[in-house]
Amino acid sequence: MKMRIYLSLAGIGLLALAGCTTVNTVENAQKEGQRNMVADARAITDASLNRKVSIVGVNTSLPPSGLLKVQVELQNRTRSLQRFSYRFEWFDANGMQVNNALSASIPDQIEGKEDKFIFGIAPNPNCKDFRVKFIEAN
Amino acid sequence: MKKKIIFPLIAAIPFVIGGCATDAHYVQTGDKEQIISVGQINIQDYANAANAAVKELLDSGVLDKVSNPPAVLFVSRIINSTGQQIETDLLTQKISKALLDSGKAVTTTTDPAAQGYGQKNDFMNDQKNTGVPDFTLSGKIIETIDRAGNTSRHTYSFHLSLNDTKTGYQVWEGEKEIGKQGTRSTVGF
Repeated sequence: MKMRIYLSLAGIGLLALAGCTTVNTVENAQKEGQRNMVADARAITDASLNRKVSIVGVNTSLPPSGLLKVQVELQNRTRSLQRFSYRFEWFDANGMQVNNALSASIPDQIEGKEDKFIFGIAPNPNCKDFRVKFIEAN
Repeated sequence: MKKKIIFPLIAAIPFVIGGCATDAHYVQTGDKEQIISVGQINIQDYANAANAAVKELLDSGVLDKVSNPPAVLFVSRIINSTGQQIETDLLTQKISKALLDSGKAVTTTTDPAAQGYGQKNDFMNDQKNTGVPDFTLSGKIIETIDRAGNTSRHTYSFHLSLNDTKTGYQVWEGEKEIGKQGTRSTVGF
């Protein structure tokens, strides 16, 4: 009887693990490039999403084109694939939101335990600040 | 007795169905209620493809290399190689607007009034405007379909290329693949 229960539990465990795929990575240990990390302010209203996909850090660069480039590092804390969407918002020197023709939410996904970068480019050189919004997919 | 039970049940069906209906309301492109059609390009797909193309194009810095900025861009033909009728302006207009807003490029116009004023201006100032843009933007949309049982996967590949009119070379190429998989269309991300 006990054997049957153990076998059933093992079967359920295997089924549960079948949906999990995690990512192994390798990278150069001595980094040549230096990331310009910025202090970020976070407003977490969806704790569930934050537990699954967390924001590791944010760095920016200002290329010669004058268009602010923002890169956000994300980490999937779970062992299963997570789907989410994100949207960049941009603000000028006066804190006014800049109208962006391409402000639609971008669907994305991240594998289990994966580190991933997403990036956005300011719609024009007047943009000085930014905000990134994340929403968990259904 | 049986009739007494069946009739109220039949009468209740329209109310139950009515309760499942969704009232009409305004939605925003790209919100959580968007409809995802597996075998069709949705409006948010054009926005995502345009977003990726503009991001890559601005990031490449190729538009900054013209001698007399902003770069003049002619939006050329987008070839539709999918099995469906699509309006390619939904893609190109988003790209044009984003590039205009960036200040990195201006696009040529097909408006006859604007062209007429331009010619008049050239004549009055004794100038000869060649009207040749710095770049042309062309592209292609390709659809590939894979099936396994009831599940189908439609991948839409948006290819865009920027061509230098002076050299005739292709100076930038962007590609965005949008894949949708499922057995039926759904609502959500």
